[in-house]
Amino acid sequence: MAGKSRFSASDRFEYLQGLVTEFQDTDSEEAKEQVLANLANFAYDPSNMEALRLLQVTELFLDMLTEENENFVEFGIGGLCNLSMERESRDQILQSGGVPLVISCLSSNRDETVLSAITTLMNLTTAASRTETTDGAVVQCMLRFSLTQNPRLRNLASVFLEDYCTQQQVDRAREEMQGQSQSAVGIPLPKD
Amino acid sequence: MQLQITTITYRLKTETFILKPGELFTLVADFTTQMDSSVANPSVWDTQKVFKHHEQRNVAQTRPKYREGRRLKAVKVYTINLESRFLLVQGVPAIGVMAELVQLFALYGVIEEYRALDEYPAEQFTEVYLFQFQKLTSARVAKWNTDEKSFFGGQLHVCYAPEYETVEETRQKLQDRRRYVNRASQNTAKQQDRQLEESTESSSTDTRTAAAPEIQKGFEKARMENVNSDDMGFSVLPLTPVEDVSYRLHGFEQPLQLQWTTDTTLPTEDKMGSLHNAIPPVTETSKQCASSASYKKERDLIERQKNLSPSVRFMPRTTHLESRKRKLEGQAFFLNEAAETETLIGPKLPKLPKVDMEDHSLNVTTNLIRQTMSKVTSVPEIKPVQVKTPTAKPRRRI
Repeated sequence: MAGKSRFSASDRFEYLQGLVTEFQDTDSEEAKEQVLANLANFAYDPSNMEALRLLQVTELFLDMLTEENENFVEFGIGGLCNLSMERESRDQILQSGGVPLVISCLSSNRDETVLSAITTLMNLTTAASRTETTDGAVVQCMLRFSLTQNPRLRNLASVFLEDYCTQQQVDRAREEMQGQSQSAVGIPLPKD
Repeated sequence: MQLQITTITYRLKTETFILKPGELFTLVADFTTQMDSSVANPSVWDTQKVFKHHEQRNVAQTRPKYREGRRLKAVKVYTINLESRFLLVQGVPAIGVMAELVQLFALYGVIEEYRALDEYPAEQFTEVYLFQFQKLTSARVAKWNTDEKSFFGGQLHVCYAPEYETVEETRQKLQDRRRYVNRASQNTAKQQDRQLEESTESSSTDTRTAAAPEIQKGFEKARMENVNSDDMGFSVLPLTPVEDVSYRLHGFEQPLQLQWTTDTTLPTEDKMGSLHNAIPPVTETSKQCASSASYKKERDLIERQKNLSPSVRFMPRTTHLESRKRKLEGQAFFLNEAAETETLIGPKLPKLPKVDMEDHSLNVTTNLIRQTMSKVTSVPEIKPVQVKTPTAKPRRRI
């Protein structure tokens, strides 16, 4: 945002603070959606990330992931996807126990939510969090996604499997998936 | 329509699977059958799907003034997943203007490839094109400048088309984005440190971000704009440094305007009074704040102020103004150094608006000029102003 150099960090902070306040105070679902989308879009710009961190907007986004309103979830995970690109914000999300919440977004029926969740998981994968973010269930999920016709989903899932999972994890997940289908479809042969 | 419903159904299946891992895994099989049954022509599926993100949504009509922008926008969140080097251009009048269209888009960056998408569902008498830019930033600028614009009588609808990316391109996109963000946020941190230093030197009451050359490069290089955002306060039109914006493609009615101005909705009260320098840059203490579960900013703000700026004193405003005046004149500081970092509490006197040159050295120069001007104007004029208008001499004709 080139023109942002006209506004000081504190101006920006106050504006964002105003948005957060409106979100908390308003009763209108529509206004909440608009503000949430605004915040999520602000999170795209690195020069805002610090202010958003100070305002604990990561917590706000994480809270949205368990909401009934699907727009809230979509915008929330979108905001997290944008924020998690940056190291310090990523750490803040990890500290707040964000990984399970993000994983739950993988089962959403909205494209954008799932895509944002995959990217966020990628960003959240560190040496410490790897076991959580590349849990067996997650890897299986990604395997399935990598087989779909939806190109964006397929691409993201493929990148996840190739770059964030070990070959063993992928193989194990593949075996488990096949094992399940066999036991469900086939009739176990008699022992003798 | 059919295609969209299929996608949703697929998702539900996924959900079921994750919740009950022991269930029958027939997902892939089911999915394929569903797709075949609902799509008449499977070979058309891959490239001609009308994805949801291609559709234009209705603009939001109900935004309050303070966060309403110049252009009405829909409520939509942009992430790196949605953006792409590929742009889909719909609404091109089918009157043989492909060359002009390509010329238009070539203004914004190098185009690697383009083609007409003949099978894409298009309105009557319009065509649909796909453009592949070399850089995502070019695509972003191009989209901002061409979306919703009139073109040879038709209205263009331009959107990203990330579904055309390959796996490698997606990977590259994510890596570039991550790298950029981390570099830019480091720059911002440095910038804010510099800002704090400058606020002690500069006489400007507002803390403006100095346009350091590296920041400029950072802005221009990758993240031209965030105009995709719905944010009303800070969405800014991008700088197109290389491309000449004032091109004259006839038939393209609306002139493309290079605007550096930010949104007009930022209330001017923000610039006057209230806590300007109160928010220090992020330091270790912010991590402490982050650990608390609630996001009650007021509490955090106060805590942070206590932690990091213990030197905030309440000073009478006139004293503060006098001290600044003396600093201006380059004399010894009346107050000690600590005063320079203190915030000015309370409303400021209304004063002549000072143009900020966005550069420290220029600011210094303008301030010197202002000083000189004020000195000059304060001295009574000794010499009468001589305005010699050439009077017509009567000419004598001999």
